Amino acid sequence: MSSPVSAPDALAPDFLKLVGVSKTFGNHRVLDKIDLAVSEGEVLVIIGPSGSGKSTLLRCINFIAAPDEGEVIFQGHSWKAMSSKYNFLANRKYEQKLTVLRSEIGMVFQNFNVFPHMTAAQNVMLGLTKVRKQSKDNARKAAVEALSQVGLAEKVDQYPEKLSGGQKQRVAIARALALQPKVMLFDEATSSLDPELVNGILEEIRRLAKAGMTMVVVTHEMNFAFQVAHRIVFMDQGRIVEIGTPDQIRKTTEPRTRSFLSAILN
Amino acid sequence: MNSAQPFFDFTSVWSSMPILLKGFAIAMACATVAIIIAILLGLIVALMRLSRVKILRWIAFIYTQFFRGIPLYVLIIWVYFGLAIAAGVNLPAIPAGIITLALLNSGYLSETFRSGILAVNKGQIEAGMALGLSRRNVMLHIVLPQAFRVIIPPLGNQYVDAIKDTAILSIIGVPELMRESKALANLYYRPFEFYTFAGLLYLFAVLVVSRGVSVLEKKLSAHSAQTTVIIDVLN
Ligand SMILES: Nc1ncnc2c1ncn2[C@@H]1O[C@H](COP(=O)(O)OP(=O)(O)OP(=O)(O)O)[C@@H](O)[C@H]1O
Ligand SMILES: [Mg+2]
Repeated sequence: MSSPVSAPDALAPDFLKLVGVSKTFGNHRVLDKIDLAVSEGEVLVIIGPSGSGKSTLLRCINFIAAPDEGEVIFQGHSWKAMSSKYNFLANRKYEQKLTVLRSEIGMVFQNFNVFPHMTAAQNVMLGLTKVRKQSKDNARKAAVEALSQVGLAEKVDQYPEKLSGGQKQRVAIARALALQPKVMLFDEATSSLDPELVNGILEEIRRLAKAGMTMVVVTHEMNFAFQVAHRIVFMDQGRIVEIGTPDQIRKTTEPRTRSFLSAILN
Repeated sequence: MNSAQPFFDFTSVWSSMPILLKGFAIAMACATVAIIIAILLGLIVALMRLSRVKILRWIAFIYTQFFRGIPLYVLIIWVYFGLAIAAGVNLPAIPAGIITLALLNSGYLSETFRSGILAVNKGQIEAGMALGLSRRNVMLHIVLPQAFRVIIPPLGNQYVDAIKDTAILSIIGVPELMRESKALANLYYRPFEFYTFAGLLYLFAVLVVSRGVSVLEKKLSAHSAQTTVIIDVLN
């Protein structure tokens, strides 16, 4: 039901940490020295106005957008911003190493980004065979299992074209979960969905939260955010304005957070 | 006009059929082998043009401009006679012809591939990266298969052009359809009949290829990327 997810008993600190992460596009500083720590098992929800840098922040966590400055510390290992744009060989090598970080972090996108030339099962199998180096047979079994978990047992051999938005997003979730990531990132996973399909996907995220998955979730679904989050981050103009428990954020006196919340809740 | 002689007479064309068909087969073989080589070269050049290494991009750009700019007629003379004079490489006519067609077409195809690759939605690449796939695997399993669908029609056009371009290989003595037709036309004084028949064979080949391309296109788009890609780009 709608009872808030209880916080894990012992939050391991510094499971995932961003230190001074900055990102600039042209002369637009989209992220400005972000410091943020996520504990193991924590559900961290990021809210904020459009263009405030929420997506970019998520993408810096797994270096899909490489930070210009700062570092991401994950399970005690530090991943620094790339030193030089011009040292091709070094960057290439680093890029190869980053696949290790990325394979530990699942990501779900607003536009699903399922691979249209592959069936649901093939979508899930790709990471299992190429990243986890599993045999085709094992990968297929794991893919069917992962798809069944999100209610797509019947759709295993369908191409995305034949699936609804909600089903595509389930494929994307199964594809990420099949790799057994330590962290899941959700970037407005329900924003492209027809209203009647939104709850199904939110339910999947809630199920993961209950199972103790560490998650960073960007969403505009405020009721959901307040229910599922251990902490909520409010971002504006590339900075973290405020972090707090749902209760603290609900009662905040910070003017920007207040005006954002009152605008979005009405 | 001599009324005893029919205006059109295809009997000599009929009797020369084995030679003509052999010429046609040689033309088709040259075009097919050339286009296969051109696909491989074009893909390599396209990937170079999209590389992060400036020198590679630069070399690929020059390659593309050069082979798109040079007339087939000139290139074939260079490959066949020029290489022999300058480097002492005496290529037989058929390999020289195939290399010429391959180089020329690779220039065009590299551009086709490049735009096909660039047309793949960035979100697809990001999703692949997010799984932890290497750049190579993202290219191989996500980008190229989707790019391939977009480039099938232009690829088919290129193949059609290559088939027609084989006619020029006659100037270095490749015994292809056009050269044989010309020889037979002179022999029987029936240019109209022989060239018309040759034209019909080319036309036939082109129709078969076009048909094959549209079948392939349909088959691949049964579970197509294009619509989603276009929608995502518009978003
Ligand atoms: N690849 C890019 N090139 C240039 N500018 C970019 C790029 N990606 C993001 N930006 C800019 O960075 C800013 C922050 O973008 P971001 O997508 O992180 O915002 P957001 O908070 O996720 O917004 P939304 O709620 O609309 O998704 C925006 O102004 C955007 O235009
Ligand atoms: Mg966003």
